[in-house]
Amino acid sequence: MTTISERAEAPGSNAAHGRRNRIARNLGPRNRTMRKRTRNWSTLGRVLLLLIATVLVLGPVLWTLSTSLRPPAESFQLPPSFLPLEPDFTSYQQVFKQLNIMLLVLNSALVTGLIAVGQMATAALAGYAFANLRFRGRQALFSIVLATMMVPAQVTIVPIFMLIRGMGLSDTLLALILPAIPTAFGTFLMRQYFLGLPADLGEAAAIDGASPWRTFRSVYAPLAMPGLAIVGILAFNYHWNEFFRPLILTISEQNFTLPLGLVSLQGNLGTGSISVVLAGVVLSMIPALVVFLFGQRALQAGLTAGSGK
Amino acid sequence: MPGSDGKLREITRRTALGALGLGIIGATTASWPRLTGMDIPGRGDSSLSIAIMGTAADAAARQRVIDAFSKVHPEIRVKVQAIQAVDWKDFFTKILTMVAAGTPPDVVYVATEGAQLFADKLAHPLDEYLRRDAADMKEYFADVHPSLVEAFMYKGSLFQLPIDWNAANMYYNTGSLRSAGLERPADNWTHTDFRATLAAMRKANTSDFTPYYWTNRLFGGVVPWLYANDTSFLKETKSTGGDWLWTTFYANDPSRSLRSGGYQWLEPNATDPRVFESFDYLRGLVKDGLGVRPEEGGGSSLVGLFASGRIGTTPAGGYWVQGLNEAGMTEDGFDVQFFPRWRTQRHQFGTAGYAIMKTAKDKDAAWEWVKFSASLDAMRLVFTTPNTTPSRRSMVNEQLYAGKGPRHWKVFYDTLDRFPTTGPIPAPPQQAAVETALMKNVSLAVSGDEAQLKQALESMQRDLELALRRQA
Amino acid sequence: MSTATSIRPRTRSAAAKDERHPQRWLAWAFLAPTVVGMGLFTLLPIVASLALAFFRWDIISPPTFVGFDNFAEVVQDPTVRVSFLNTIMFVIVAVALQLGVALALAIMVQEKLPAWLRVFFRSAFFFPLILSAASVSIFMRYLFNEQFGVVNWLLSFVGIPAVPWLTTPGGSAAVVILVYVWQNFGFSFLLFIGGLASIPNETYEAAALDGATGLRKHLHVTLPLLSPTTLVASVMAIINALQVFDQPYVLTRGGPGDSTRTAVMVIFESAFQRLEFGQASAIGVILTIIILAITAAQLRLSKRFVFYQ
Repeated sequence: MTTISERAEAPGSNAAHGRRNRIARNLGPRNRTMRKRTRNWSTLGRVLLLLIATVLVLGPVLWTLSTSLRPPAESFQLPPSFLPLEPDFTSYQQVFKQLNIMLLVLNSALVTGLIAVGQMATAALAGYAFANLRFRGRQALFSIVLATMMVPAQVTIVPIFMLIRGMGLSDTLLALILPAIPTAFGTFLMRQYFLGLPADLGEAAAIDGASPWRTFRSVYAPLAMPGLAIVGILAFNYHWNEFFRPLILTISEQNFTLPLGLVSLQGNLGTGSISVVLAGVVLSMIPALVVFLFGQRALQAGLTAGSGK
Repeated sequence: MPGSDGKLREITRRTALGALGLGIIGATTASWPRLTGMDIPGRGDSSLSIAIMGTAADAAARQRVIDAFSKVHPEIRVKVQAIQAVDWKDFFTKILTMVAAGTPPDVVYVATEGAQLFADKLAHPLDEYLRRDAADMKEYFADVHPSLVEAFMYKGSLFQLPIDWNAANMYYNTGSLRSAGLERPADNWTHTDFRATLAAMRKANTSDFTPYYWTNRLFGGVVPWLYANDTSFLKETKSTGGDWLWTTFYANDPSRSLRSGGYQWLEPNATDPRVFESFDYLRGLVKDGLGVRPEEGGGSSLVGLFASGRIGTTPAGGYWVQGLNEAGMTEDGFDVQFFPRWRTQRHQFGTAGYAIMKTAKDKDAAWEWVKFSASLDAMRLVFTTPNTTPSRRSMVNEQLYAGKGPRHWKVFYDTLDRFPTTGPIPAPPQQAAVETALMKNVSLAVSGDEAQLKQALESMQRDLELALRRQA
Repeated sequence: MSTATSIRPRTRSAAAKDERHPQRWLAWAFLAPTVVGMGLFTLLPIVASLALAFFRWDIISPPTFVGFDNFAEVVQDPTVRVSFLNTIMFVIVAVALQLGVALALAIMVQEKLPAWLRVFFRSAFFFPLILSAASVSIFMRYLFNEQFGVVNWLLSFVGIPAVPWLTTPGGSAAVVILVYVWQNFGFSFLLFIGGLASIPNETYEAAALDGATGLRKHLHVTLPLLSPTTLVASVMAIINALQVFDQPYVLTRGGPGDSTRTAVMVIFESAFQRLEFGQASAIGVILTIIILAITAAQLRLSKRFVFYQ
């Protein structure tokens, strides 16, 4: 039992926890023996509660996975199995038979990739301007940018649709990409990020005679790469899962993104099979899962970036 | 030393970034046709564009029909565009979106749900072509039941030729029927017989078994029960006209006298005592644990549930056979019977066929497609599996259901012959609003007490009034 | 996370006197893509949908000017009224639940735990955020099925008879809230984790010397010190919840009756199912005004608190 509390105070390997671990170390071993027993018991209870919460959170996902790996006739078997012990891949074969998955993936990748790159570029520039450059109307403009985040997408979709038609881009992937590139949240995030970088770096560069553009390119832009990664990953996560805009803006199946394509698996008038539907759901989770595994820290940081200021 | 090292790193970093930038630009350029949709065959050219509901796989399945068509009409170039949608309402929205985008298709495969919406606003009547090609069309109409055709009449004109259709019959699980000690129900079983059947199934099975499973939809929800009780949630009238069609093609049909210029649904009828009676019956089934409270929209779980033996009975049509087969059900595992009788044994059906858009560039070519699609040759190419019922009587045969069931597949087409008043899904031009007004009140109506039922029907009446007042 | 959110004192003097030409020029060059993009794809559509609210338009025939008719009809429409009330009720319950669950779990995770367990719990609670709301709703719908769902099967062990989750007004409202909170609490959780990490440990030590432990400690120390985070978390949670669409759309289609119809759903239905674009815009305008008002009120409140520390 002592090992648990001791390990808690060991310096974490994960840099993100450094700060907290420092705090934990500062606490010191005072009072430890006195309260050891009660603390151990409360720790145990706490871990138990947290485990229950974890089961509630991950259980439905596990059920989805294991049901997708069962023959359709057993979809609703009770008691349910949460672990796919004897996987059956017919539902997955069915998904590949019914959908041109490769094309859907290509479309999703193109759309999300270009939106992410576009957002990173524009947000970096605009965020830097809002953070480090002085110009008239900065506050007002920034407030307008922030305010646009509060208008639901459903409100503006019809005018956007007409705009796209006017541009001759109806039912194309560009119709999904172009309107999504200017990003209020990304701009906000990059502004915060640039504000967090030391100001004296820029001042030093200015004293050395660097132009504002050079200061940005050689001093701040390289330092902002982690922030840009956050914008990119957030854009990826959001637009990969996006349903509403593609629903309205694309018509041909050749232009569908993955989430939209999967909906057709549900079938008309109940002719779809639940395990096929769930197989599709699982397939669509994979890219998000990859992002989760590799970009989790950046994502967490990005999602909470608004809390600092 | 650190200086030069830094410089080196700077250079490699720049090279890497430059390569990345070039890569992005290269990838964008390479995928430009994909981004602008220019790689989609036939896009923007003058070929006849045909929109169907379904996936690319469905469109590919029609390729053989296109090939056959091209042999007969080498001068007409055709492209089939599959539009994915969750239901017909969703599909029509997509077509309207295409109209709004300035790229409407020339021909659209439309089901009963949207027949009047299209006839009223978007479609071109077939009358002149039918008159012109009457001799060629005789064979088609002789093979198709007039009830189906009448569903596509609107104010005296015909807008579509039925290609496939489905009635709401009653599917049952043979195993659970047998375990309840029952035989196959009689053709003219009544709603009380039906209730008794459910009760017997209830007794003989475990608690996670549902004798009657139904969903809250326009097709197969409450409407079959309303039709069986000789009523509906909308007042049904018929318009005049269309005699030319019936005398030309159905002069000798036994149900000739019933035929009209098309259905009209102009007034709500939710407060009709018989509507109350039907809902009250369903409420009783729910209350006594014989039927489920219906979920809205749902149905994606239905095949799995039925195939796994958790459901005793459910209303469905011929479209269901293939799905059950794929879900692992054998041809002896289930069967189908007519919907139970109440005051009448009138059934509900839905049908679909091609409509020519008003905006079609070449309507003559469009008609050739409509006509060809209704031919026996074309329909044989399309309907190879029982995932819907062909409108041609001659095609609903032993061969189609061989090895898949149900044993009594004859029930499907017999529904039309035995009950000639069998009617289409009630769908005025304001279909979307009407459907919402109906569906949103059904669950409340059948899952509370009598007062709640009355209240739900009154609110349905109000919602329907509002819906019908809209201009569609 | 720390870099993106930390506040660092910086001298503005150098930047302030830099109100020079090249900088202003550069600022506008940097802002151009975002400003042009947002002008075209966000502001213009907002203005256009505001204008559209005064027209009757079904896409097929040309629009006709109807003055305030759309607003009058919308305000009198019982469905619209109910859906706005539903939305408000939903926001209150879902946000309270989301913040409550998130805070409780954050405190539990933040107290002494082995580092690997802490990382595990954080990842688990964060996981639902990367899934698309549409696919979550698809599999949750199966889990909450009255006859065959896993939820009712589990409840049967504690003697609770089958709950008609999706077919009664109370049940479906509960499911929509539960599914929404299930997917979104991780977001507030992360915010709270960040907030808790910034509370100096000396404060706790002082409180411990005064005899404040356990629940009392959190009541008197954690909660007051966490109030800035709580406000930010609630602002973000409320903006999100006010725009809820995917979950009720997939889970219940707004039913039974109008019991789970939300404001954004009504916009979608009148625009894309009934083609009443004018009315849809009118509802959108009203909703946007409500969102702006609530957010403005909250920001005013939060400003005070953020500068407090």
